[in-house]
Amino acid sequence: MYYNSSAHWGLKWDMRIVEAFIGEYASGKSENAINRALELLRQNRQVTIVDLDTVEPFYTLRPLKKKLEQLGLRVIAWDPAETTGLGEAGSLINQQMIWALRNEGDIILDIGYGAHGARILNLVEGAQDDPDLRLLVVVNIARPMTASVEDIVQYVQGLGTVHGLINNSHLGNETTLDIIQDGAVMVTEAARILQLPVIYTAVAREFAHLIGPHDKAGNPVKIIELFMHEAYW
Amino acid sequence: MAKETIALTPAMPKCWNPDSKPHKFCPGCGHGLTLKMLGQAIDELGIQDKVIFGCDIGCSLLSWDFFNVDSVQTHHGRTTPVITGIKRARPELIGIAYMGDGGGYAIGAQHLVNAATRNEKITAILINNTNYGMTGGQMAPTTLPGQITETTPFGRDPEDSGYPTMGPEMVAAIAREGAYVARGSMANLRQLKRFLKKALENQMEGNGFSFVEVLSSCPTNWRTNAEATWRFVEKDMAEHFPVGEFKVPGKKEEK
Amino acid sequence: MKEKPVKGERRVFMTGNEVCAWAALAADADIMFGYPITPQTDIMQYWTRLAPKYGKKFLQTEDEISAGFTTLGAVIAGKRAFSATTGPGNVLFQEPMSMAEMMRIPVVLIIPMRGGPSTATVIYSQQEVTMTAFGGNGEGFRVVYSTAGHQDLYDYTIKAFNTAWKYRFPTFVLSDGYQGKMRESLTIYDPAERGIEMVKAEPMLGLPGIPGVDRPTRHLRNTYNTEEELYEVVMQIARDFEKAAPEIVEWQDFDTDSEMDVLILAHGVVSRAAQGALPLLKNEGIKAGHFRPITLRPMPEEQMRAAAARANRVVVVESAYGQFLKLVKETLYGMDKPIDAILRPGVGITAEEIVAEIKERR
Repeated sequence: MYYNSSAHWGLKWDMRIVEAFIGEYASGKSENAINRALELLRQNRQVTIVDLDTVEPFYTLRPLKKKLEQLGLRVIAWDPAETTGLGEAGSLINQQMIWALRNEGDIILDIGYGAHGARILNLVEGAQDDPDLRLLVVVNIARPMTASVEDIVQYVQGLGTVHGLINNSHLGNETTLDIIQDGAVMVTEAARILQLPVIYTAVAREFAHLIGPHDKAGNPVKIIELFMHEAYW
Repeated sequence: MAKETIALTPAMPKCWNPDSKPHKFCPGCGHGLTLKMLGQAIDELGIQDKVIFGCDIGCSLLSWDFFNVDSVQTHHGRTTPVITGIKRARPELIGIAYMGDGGGYAIGAQHLVNAATRNEKITAILINNTNYGMTGGQMAPTTLPGQITETTPFGRDPEDSGYPTMGPEMVAAIAREGAYVARGSMANLRQLKRFLKKALENQMEGNGFSFVEVLSSCPTNWRTNAEATWRFVEKDMAEHFPVGEFKVPGKKEEK
Repeated sequence: MKEKPVKGERRVFMTGNEVCAWAALAADADIMFGYPITPQTDIMQYWTRLAPKYGKKFLQTEDEISAGFTTLGAVIAGKRAFSATTGPGNVLFQEPMSMAEMMRIPVVLIIPMRGGPSTATVIYSQQEVTMTAFGGNGEGFRVVYSTAGHQDLYDYTIKAFNTAWKYRFPTFVLSDGYQGKMRESLTIYDPAERGIEMVKAEPMLGLPGIPGVDRPTRHLRNTYNTEEELYEVVMQIARDFEKAAPEIVEWQDFDTDSEMDVLILAHGVVSRAAQGALPLLKNEGIKAGHFRPITLRPMPEEQMRAAAARANRVVVVESAYGQFLKLVKETLYGMDKPIDAILRPGVGITAEEIVAEIKERR
């Protein structure tokens, strides 16, 4: 099915949005998943966000559950207090996650990293046949395993069918406009080779005025708020 | 998580602890089914007041408050010796050491081997799901050749890290007369319950070391849907790990 | 010649555990042994993903005792080998590390500390200081680097190999779960580009030639027959350790050159909070300085004493119940200084908390 990247912005009311954010360890999946969920919420849509990270015990949506619920999202994730006392990673799947796609409204899935790529979706009922499901790969070129066009292409090819790339290149507190734009160019080139669209370049608010509505490669710029620094455990 | 009313769900074993239900095991996890069979076995044998239940580190840890049976969570691989100590101090108690592939075949292997050699009168139950689930899915001694895990991202190479551990076969080879050794599967719950009951009865009769390995599922870390999960347990795992009894007290061994 | 994993230098964004794997690659380590335990497991997971590309080796052992002894074996054979562990795994590592101490085996061990004692939490603490510096049944002839961030993790993991192989004491990179999982940017570099020469790894056994014929045979042992023999052996190790100490010690100090109301002593990630507390204390009219030992073993004693001499009192801050405090008291023994402590076993400490505590105890 043809994925129209502009439909990402010009939403039809009756179109159901189901997006899975996937990417390398610490590429920015959760941050982008949360921002997308809140973006849809602001348009008065009903949104569920689901934590499907079973490999990484820290840095997941879990500690933000209450905060995100207060903002109006439905959050399917363990509360860290429910997993404490277990001693080890406590990264488990529950029934709500399995049936996540049966929820009304839009669904945003935060998929962890790991040797199995996107195959966690095998556990989500209906994921194989859901016509609306789109897999979006988040890429940060400052991450050594996706730091060149070849590496990005190889990484994405290893994931199987995906529908688009997101440039999330940054260096945390030391981010400059250069790394964002270099990322835009590299990710766009990789996308061209993979014949996939670049959905947007993610930019923290402080850079918004420096970059404008499009990045160097012509992709739309999306301003994202940062939440994950509060999501340590 | 809110407690659901139990009206429509099948009856829980009497010795289960209702306060820790619904349990936290992933849906499709073999632990839940195994512990149900174990619970039924304990009920049928009427030993709820005598059982001491020990669990290891890893997903077995989630069973620490599973039963209304005195329980102790130990260190990784040390459940066997802790239960051994309890049993030696108080032989009238029934000691159950519950662990995973790491707790029995990796870090706990020396304790398993020595408990078997000494014919310790305890019952060890080991969940084999071919990976270290709780810590995010790393290789286990029972990981199959070619299987992808977080520490075998390109598939397990037997030339490099060996073939899957054949636990019950090993224990049966070194155990003495009086030991009971079996491998069951969650693909055959009736048989599994029978094995667990015999393993407990063996301890109650004071015969010797009892050991049951259970072929179990981990769809979360296998990343498999229901159909593929069952296929992996029933077919792939059973091909590597034959199901059956390996040592039964009184029965002559087939050479 | 195999491809170099890190060429030149560049700025990257990584988690602490990843940094350790990359640093070991940059240091041209040959083989890693390990057993999964949170929050160390990513060091292994990254190594297994990167190892095949650079011809490096890996073995997941059956437990931490084995991981320690297999690492010793590889080092004895002349390869740069290392492992990583934490918490209950670190407890098990004390047996192989004792052997390393006695036999002067240059092993490198990375430890992202978690809560203790026993299984506790997988999160964070500074509760493995005593064990890492003085564990096992030895005298603590070990080198312990306490890192405070990703650049440290990179720099000191590389340095650990050189310190270990030059001075021949087991060398530890002591970080914590926070550092292991935090995402930060840092500069990764090829050590050669910065003039860092990796100390050559020489085998202790398996040298070329026929033993007893072409060369003396190597017979290694760690057991002795008489008290006197043992005394000589241990005293020699002690002398070597004392001699190496001034070359190994490292520290950082902040605003300690002039007279202070209070000197804050902290190590590892807590040092960042202490640094953050200094300007806040200044606003409250409290003249504070901060001394951070980078090596906990050997401790920069002279330098810590010099800084403490210029303060009215000393405050020790740690995420443990007195493990670092003990080392401080020993270091400052004989100095007439009030020593106060902010002890938070297993819990992170912020700059604001330090300021609040110091104000309260003024």
